[in-house]
Amino acid sequence: MSYIDAGYAIALAVLAGYGALLWGRRRRLERLMASAEEQAEP
Amino acid sequence: MSTTTPTTPTTPATPAAPAPAAEPPPTPSPRVPVVAPWSARSQRVVRWLGVAAVVSVVATVWLGLWVTPPDAVQHDLVRLVYVHPPIAWVSLYLAFGIAAVSSVLWLWPRTRSPFWDRLAASSVEVGTVFTALTLVTGSIWGRPTWGVWWAWDARLTSTALLLVLLLGYLAVRRVAGAPEARARRCAVVALVAAVDVPIVHFSVDWWHTLHQNATVLNANLSPTIHGAMAWTLLLGFVAFTLVFAWMLAVRYRIEVLVEGALAAEIDLALHERWAEGDDSPPPAVRP
Amino acid sequence: MWRDSVLVAGKDLRIELRSRVVLNQVIPVAALTLVLFAFALGPDRAPMTRAAPGLFWVAVLFATVLAVQRSFGLESTEGARDGLRLSGLDPAGVFLGKAAAIALELVVLEGLLTVGVVVLYGSHVRAPGALAAACVAGTAGLAAAGTLYGALASGLRVRETLLPFLLLPVVAPVLLAGTRVWQVALGIQAGSPQDPWLRLLLVFAAVYLCLGVVIFGPLQEAS
Repeated sequence: MSYIDAGYAIALAVLAGYGALLWGRRRRLERLMASAEEQAEP
Repeated sequence: MSTTTPTTPTTPATPAAPAPAAEPPPTPSPRVPVVAPWSARSQRVVRWLGVAAVVSVVATVWLGLWVTPPDAVQHDLVRLVYVHPPIAWVSLYLAFGIAAVSSVLWLWPRTRSPFWDRLAASSVEVGTVFTALTLVTGSIWGRPTWGVWWAWDARLTSTALLLVLLLGYLAVRRVAGAPEARARRCAVVALVAAVDVPIVHFSVDWWHTLHQNATVLNANLSPTIHGAMAWTLLLGFVAFTLVFAWMLAVRYRIEVLVEGALAAEIDLALHERWAEGDDSPPPAVRP
Repeated sequence: MWRDSVLVAGKDLRIELRSRVVLNQVIPVAALTLVLFAFALGPDRAPMTRAAPGLFWVAVLFATVLAVQRSFGLESTEGARDGLRLSGLDPAGVFLGKAAAIALELVVLEGLLTVGVVVLYGSHVRAPGALAAACVAGTAGLAAAGTLYGALASGLRVRETLLPFLLLPVVAPVLLAGTRVWQVALGIQAGSPQDPWLRLLLVFAAVYLCLGVVIFGPLQEAS
């Protein structure tokens, strides 16, 4: 694998990974807040 | 007492009023302050931002890796110019600039608002990822060009120092404390770092050019750009800026949610404490 | 503001005169680092002499961290910090006072370290004026940035590890510029008057002194 491919791959992988992390955290927190709201209103 | 009060993201949640000791509350459910859901318009904007980011990045990669011609001097290695400089620009000017300006706006009493603190923190965190990537792509570009994984050239050295400054901000952010005190400390750190960055740039630059054995290290990493390469480079800048913008928006939302969850926990704990006095049924399950 | 700064500086220096912590602990640690560097660079004098300017400034940087920690440790007792804040002293004055005390301690340390460098590493002083100027300008910047971050970190449980982590990267330009000036002054590198290093040290000091004066007050609010 050439250096250029490695460079592109690492950059894209890290950004994709971090993006997925952010997206996952947000979804989890939104669900948490939604369920908290539901539980507060029986 | 049984209804939840939605709070807007920019104002901190206020704790529930204590139940009067004389009479138990009619319904013992805790008043959990809820963070207002992201407006449909904001969600749409961010979603389109994400789509645009992905599309432009894919286009940049396609153009950069296959369509554009190799350089006369650097041959195929020049293709990293579509990735490394844009990421560097985002990390230094965009991320760090936003963090610095936001910190100043937070410190200035007239414009102080939790929005700026959250924006600064989000920008620093996303910026740290980009800065680390700048170093990695720069190192990868340098290896076949100079033969070493790391050369103390002006740009890499400045970026390395910037990374440490950003990590310092994140460390201060992690110190537990009241939100306002934490925001204050972080804003000062950002300001001290912001003032330092140009000084570091100049000093490291002179460190090289005034050194008697100055090599042409810098020259090799700056190829001449023309034609299709220029357009691809521009696209690269746009693409990574969009990626940063999307990440910033999502990170900001996470910050808002985390603060809301924290406030909810505090509110719940407060309610449980106050409810200890009377023998009404226990509050609802903790979220 | 100036009067308050003299008051605070006087207080810090008087405490130092009585307790002699900097004299008995910080200066020996700095001198010790010079010895450790000698062990690291190995028994030939040549590499030591060549590296002497850098080693000197690294030792000064570490001593700065210690001096700042000491300076803010003075107020770690119950209520001393609040007392200082509520005393009605101008915060900018407090900043300048504390920075001045630290700077003075560091300058004394640097003088002794210079003797150490000449003796231990065999350096030849060609331009003592440049040496002194670099020390004064560099120290001013170090003390200013150190006082700012010292105040920020004081009162936090992680302050011992946080302070070096925050301060050292910020003052890296001082290390860089100071080393360059010293290299010329010790005859290790040829240099010209056009070299901007001394100017950089002065700019650094000016920038951080001004920043500190402006931001010290807001920093102390309810922290």
